[in-house]
Amino acid sequence: MTKLFDKYAPLQTRVDMMMKMGSDALGVEFDDIISATRGRIGNRDILLAGTNNYLGLTFDEDCRTAAKTAVDDHGTGTTGSRIANGTYSEHVDLEKALAEHFGMPSCVVFTTGYQTNLAAISGLAGDKDVIFMDADAHACIIDGSRLTNASTIRFRHNNPEDLDKRLRRRGEIEGGNALVVIEGLYSMFGDVAPIDEFVDVTHRHGGYLFVDEAHSYGTFGPTGCGLAEAQGVLDKIDFISGTFSKSLASVGGFCASKHPEFEITRKVMRPYMFTASATPANICAARVAVDKIKAGGHLRDNLKDRGEQLHAGLKALEFDLCAEPSPIIAVRRPNEGLAAMEWNWLMDNGVYVNLAVPPGTPQSSSLLRISLSAAHTEADVQVIIDAFAKMKASQGEIMSNMMSKLQAAE
Amino acid sequence: MTAPTDSEIYDKICELLKPYNPKNHPIEPSSGIMSDLEVDSVAVFDVIMEIEDHYDVSIPMEMVSDIKTVGELVTAVKGLTA
Repeated sequence: MTKLFDKYAPLQTRVDMMMKMGSDALGVEFDDIISATRGRIGNRDILLAGTNNYLGLTFDEDCRTAAKTAVDDHGTGTTGSRIANGTYSEHVDLEKALAEHFGMPSCVVFTTGYQTNLAAISGLAGDKDVIFMDADAHACIIDGSRLTNASTIRFRHNNPEDLDKRLRRRGEIEGGNALVVIEGLYSMFGDVAPIDEFVDVTHRHGGYLFVDEAHSYGTFGPTGCGLAEAQGVLDKIDFISGTFSKSLASVGGFCASKHPEFEITRKVMRPYMFTASATPANICAARVAVDKIKAGGHLRDNLKDRGEQLHAGLKALEFDLCAEPSPIIAVRRPNEGLAAMEWNWLMDNGVYVNLAVPPGTPQSSSLLRISLSAAHTEADVQVIIDAFAKMKASQGEIMSNMMSKLQAAE
Repeated sequence: MTAPTDSEIYDKICELLKPYNPKNHPIEPSSGIMSDLEVDSVAVFDVIMEIEDHYDVSIPMEMVSDIKTVGELVTAVKGLTA
């Protein structure tokens, strides 16, 4: 008889293989996080280069004070959803601050970034609507579309012409609308969407454009609004979503809209209605971080410089990089086994990056993914480059180590 | 343009699946696209986009989730091109 977990046997084999290469890259346990760029495991200091802490605000004094004060003033949790007892004046104040930052009339705050897209997409797309999503869309966009009864069509990644073709092919949507969903900065490869071109194509077909700026809010644009602002089309975007768990250095998410009618979705978005609201500490830390982002031109400047420094350094070492310089730099590796060995080698040598493997990656790639922070110094980035140089010089040793571990596993 | 036959669609799908089947598993109508051919869940949708472009049809994601085998994919494409 089949047992409940039998279906995971192939996955278990893959995980077992990864464990034979070293430790579990998808379950790292830090003994301490000391700053935005340093952690500790045992007695080893680790340079953090994979935490999406783009502006390094997790240890900002004002953000920390706001979180601590919120706990003292309002307690540790809200114990209720936004539609019950979980809306405090701080939640509303944060929504107003974000709406004002985007110059939009409506903004809704959610408990996590994942839930934000789950809620907003499922709230916006009805039975007769059609969702058009970028082929490299994040899991929360895919899952959000699954919560709807809307038809969903994928278009080729970052390709407005392909979207144009698929919108034309689908033809008139009787009784419904097209909702086009893209991201600003893509989390795995770190490549940037031509949002301005997507605005043209979407609106030419009478559709609505939804842009997830999870990785680009705070990191792009003169006031940190993101890539739509940087590309001069912020006022043309119908919906912008984002997270608090990257540049805003907290936990939560938001969706802003230029349509005041977006407010009605508070009454239908299940991942908004049926979960506890974000804690006062998370909300108050994010509120302070919004102001830091607006005034954070110096942080964005350093982040840009560090991205260019790292990109140039890794390129000079002839690593295969997935995109142009950005706060995310992904190094493509030939296969999952070698990537896992190298990930362990980097950890042993004091650098934490992300190991990203299929199906969570585009083009079935195995990646060593680095995300930079404005808190990284030039010297920090040089440490990362030096580690990759040393890793490359140790390829023979890493390969033979992998072969012997694989043989021992057989 | 006349509608393609089952066997024409089957041959085309086998051709489009080839780059996604690096282990060269034999392809049969009963082959599970993910379970037998080991095409990962993201790559399946890349194959679908190729089929959409070849036949100029829309195959929405909700339809794809019901398709498990190569034969079922042929039937779905046949229905859209008829």
